[in-house]
Amino acid sequence: MNRSLATLFLAPVAAVSLSGCGVNSIPTAEEQAKAKWADVQAAYQRRANLIPNLVATTKGAAASENQILTGVTQARANATRITLSGDQLTDPEAMKRFQDAQNQLSAAILPLQRLQENYPDLKSQANFQTLMSQLEGTENRINISIRDYNEAVQSYNTTIRTFPAVIGAKVIYGAKPMATYQATTPNADQAPTVDFGTGNSGG
Amino acid sequence: MRKPLLLAALLLGSTGCDAQPAQPVQAPAAKLYSPGYPAFTGRVVDLAEILTSAEEERLAAKLEAVQREVGPQFAIVTVQSLNGRPIEEYSIDLARHWALGDSKRNDGLMLLVAPNERELRIEVGKGLESRVTDPYAARVIREQAIPELKAAAYGKAIEAASDALIARLRSRASDAEIAKEDGVIS
Repeated sequence: MNRSLATLFLAPVAAVSLSGCGVNSIPTAEEQAKAKWADVQAAYQRRANLIPNLVATTKGAAASENQILTGVTQARANATRITLSGDQLTDPEAMKRFQDAQNQLSAAILPLQRLQENYPDLKSQANFQTLMSQLEGTENRINISIRDYNEAVQSYNTTIRTFPAVIGAKVIYGAKPMATYQATTPNADQAPTVDFGTGNSGG
Repeated sequence: MRKPLLLAALLLGSTGCDAQPAQPVQAPAAKLYSPGYPAFTGRVVDLAEILTSAEEERLAAKLEAVQREVGPQFAIVTVQSLNGRPIEEYSIDLARHWALGDSKRNDGLMLLVAPNERELRIEVGKGLESRVTDPYAARVIREQAIPELKAAAYGKAIEAASDALIARLRSRASDAEIAKEDGVIS
């Protein structure tokens, strides 16, 4: 008698506590991190789409810079070969392969972005400026999407380690921590920023 | 027979969402919104005090009209300092902090000018990226803002840039037409 009363009383409470912030918060946090990862991939894909046009335009004005152009084209080919699905986010090695390929492409693009300083003809081409503005915008979106993804991953990783969700994480979902993303290429300080201070900058 | 009760009691004790981690987790990520962002006091927030009150009123009226008639929320902000942060980061964090635009349409737009760092940026909500494209925003900065800013004509620069952005918000052209006009690579 006593026990059945207690069970009646406690069962709903237990259910509430599980749905409140425990077990159900795991799939939510997981979906969130996967959605943010999709944004990272979309931003990188956008960059990959821009590069052939950029290479073609640069070739016209700076044909002697073949080495840089070939480097970019090869790095792009490598980077587009490696994809990472949402289910692979718990695999740090797969993440590292993706990361390395994209970071190599970032490094290969930098000299291309700097080329314009040596080729005034190139810099003044409307087509080139249009492409560069899209590349800069894309690089910026990549940085923001990585930051958002890493925050979502930290939130997910905290959720699956936090009581009471940790019970559900282990027993029900077998949830593993996800890998954060490390962009090693310097970004904000390398990408050309708009500065209206001096005579010839500001593109 | 005691066990189920014990488990229930445990769960009862942790119904809140502030339960402690079962094991230590790494330090929290750098705060997205560090303290010290300016308050959203209106569509024009001139903390650097580079606009005259007449300019401020004119701009505010235009921004109010475009939101009322077309939808997007466009804010102009000038700051004394970016607190040592890259303008790209400061700008997106501020726009999110203010939650500019409709949360479903994501149609916020922000023009940020930091005269002391001599930098400026146009922050475009995702929902407006097909209207205010990267090449368009870059052209507004290059052609409307920079020449006036170099002459320290801040009001003129901000008005010229805002007019160009508002014109685009009011444009009736389709996304495809705009993409073509701006040279957007798909």
